[in-house]
Amino acid sequence: MAGEIPDRVPVIPVVDGYFAPKIIGRDNDECFLDGICQAEALAASLARFGYDGAIAEMGLGDEPNVLGCPVEVEGNYVPLVVETLIAGREDIGKLKIPADSSAVATGGKLEPVRWLVEAVGAGQVVLGSVRSPFEYAATVRGLFDFMTDFYRDPELVRDLVAACIPATLAVGKALIEAGVDALVIKDSFASSSMISPDHYREFAWPAEVQAIGELGGLAPVVLHICRNSMPILEDMSKTGAAVLEIDSPVDLAAAKAAVGGRVVLKGNIDAAAVIEKGSLEDVEAAVRYAMSAAKAGGGFILSSGDSIPNSAPENNLTALVEAGKKYGKY
Amino acid sequence: MKDTLENFELAIIAGNADASADLADTIVRQGQATADKIFDHLAAAMEEVGSRYETGEYFIPEMLRSAEAVEKAMTVLEPYLFERRHEQAGIIVMGTVKGDIHNIGKNIIVSALRASGYEVHDLGVNVSTEKFINKVKETSADLLLLSAFTTSTKPALLDIIAALESEGMRGEVKVISGGASHSEDFAREIGVDGFATDVKSTLAICRSLTGA
Ligand code: B12
Repeated sequence: MAGEIPDRVPVIPVVDGYFAPKIIGRDNDECFLDGICQAEALAASLARFGYDGAIAEMGLGDEPNVLGCPVEVEGNYVPLVVETLIAGREDIGKLKIPADSSAVATGGKLEPVRWLVEAVGAGQVVLGSVRSPFEYAATVRGLFDFMTDFYRDPELVRDLVAACIPATLAVGKALIEAGVDALVIKDSFASSSMISPDHYREFAWPAEVQAIGELGGLAPVVLHICRNSMPILEDMSKTGAAVLEIDSPVDLAAAKAAVGGRVVLKGNIDAAAVIEKGSLEDVEAAVRYAMSAAKAGGGFILSSGDSIPNSAPENNLTALVEAGKKYGKY
Repeated sequence: MKDTLENFELAIIAGNADASADLADTIVRQGQATADKIFDHLAAAMEEVGSRYETGEYFIPEMLRSAEAVEKAMTVLEPYLFERRHEQAGIIVMGTVKGDIHNIGKNIIVSALRASGYEVHDLGVNVSTEKFINKVKETSADLLLLSAFTTSTKPALLDIIAALESEGMRGEVKVISGGASHSEDFAREIGVDGFATDVKSTLAICRSLTGA
């Protein structure tokens, strides 16, 4: 992914289970627990809009299940994690920590990913998406209690995050074995919009380094931290990730100046204000700005800053891809 | 006396739960402060915490730490306040609506309201219309506070308002909604009596609607 300068800037917006199902006329909830439905939606969206890569998950709704977390979908728009597993330290042992990739690849769970890998065209890539240990830990504990623990019981936070490292590794390896070209490790709660940079360094960063240390040797890793990540960008660039996926609150020019020499940047068109709510002109202007800020010298992938919402107009995605191809030429 | 209350306020802002509980204990033993005075300091502390979050000085864990300090202090203060308080600021039923499980912002508001002297019945998250209605009936609540963080909760919000109307309760309880999805337009379309997106304005709206 990193390295020499390509013919143009790759365009890989974050099209996932929120936006893609409508492209094949399905509702989100139908596709959340039906991986093949989701894979078909992702492939159809890729073919329709002609960007350069799709993002595959093992099934957004199902994923907390990796650690034994019950998930409920009630004819609902999104699955809810209705019950958290960890009431205290004594429960860490109850987590179903997968021993290796074969433990998560059961029951045909990876079939949709393999299907997608087969379905994409020449020159198009598939990124596999997995949660960070910190994000798994927050999910099994419940984010509210997890973040209360930062001061009440920091030892529990550290131990729980460490206990979740194998989950990230197992899912990541399973995705790589299923044929994805690169991994996206999502660490949304590590954002400086949620926790302080000091807490990021204390609780999230060490596990990122460990996970990327192991997985980065098998496939390039994209580290995703949404909303504001400017205060921790330097640290993110030292995790071993090949690519940092950054969101719209970060100024792309400043990010490029700070870490562009070390890592590839992927970002950062505002998924809500521009892609969901903006006009075609807004989309084009945002793409032009992004190119002017980060294209020079290579090491840039044009993307939305975060997942494209379901209600985003399809024409805006077309505009993003077209502008990306037009202004992204080297 | 003034010093103890001020230090108490500072301990809440700093999120020092042990110091907050100790100072609350001192306040009780001194036995001088009126309930109103104590609530003033508690509410001021949570407003300050909210604005430190808005300005980026605090992050979510720091807000939660202060909310926990409030809860600890309240356990110590409750019997004392109960004896002294002639009138309650008001009775509130609150929860996050059906289909939505965000609870951090809701819990912070619950703490801030308790700190301001309200009796708050927190129904949790993913709460059905029926549960809200029953609780409002049971408690004769003055205010119904609905947290809704995703825009996909709109049908759930409309359903609650419609149910209040069909039960003939809409005139008796004021409805306020809030959360990340809220804008002036959104609130108008739902037909609530008020909305807010931060601690300070939430407290202001509740005060103005209950005359507290
Ligand atoms: C943390 C978080 C989560 C966590 C929640 C964990 C938990 N225990 O709460 C998890 C990961 C589970 C989650 C899931 C989802 N989330 Co979420 N989440 C957030 C996030 C990043 C922070 C929320 C938060 O805690 N903020 C801190 C608190 C202090 O602020 P607050 O919530 O706004 O609360 C304040 C005010 O709103 C107000 N307030 C709160 N309640 C009330 C009530 C009343 C009556 C009043 C007056 C005021 C008031 O006072 C609070 C104190 O200041 C927001 C982003 C954001 N900008 O808010 C998205 C966000 C709310 N989530 C969003 C979405 C879409 C989702 C998901 C669908 C998946 C996804 N894409 O992430 C699922 C939905 C699950 C479900 N059905 O509920 C969207 C909603 C967009 C929209 N317009 O619909 C947001 C805005 C992110 C985004 N920009 O896309 N999420």
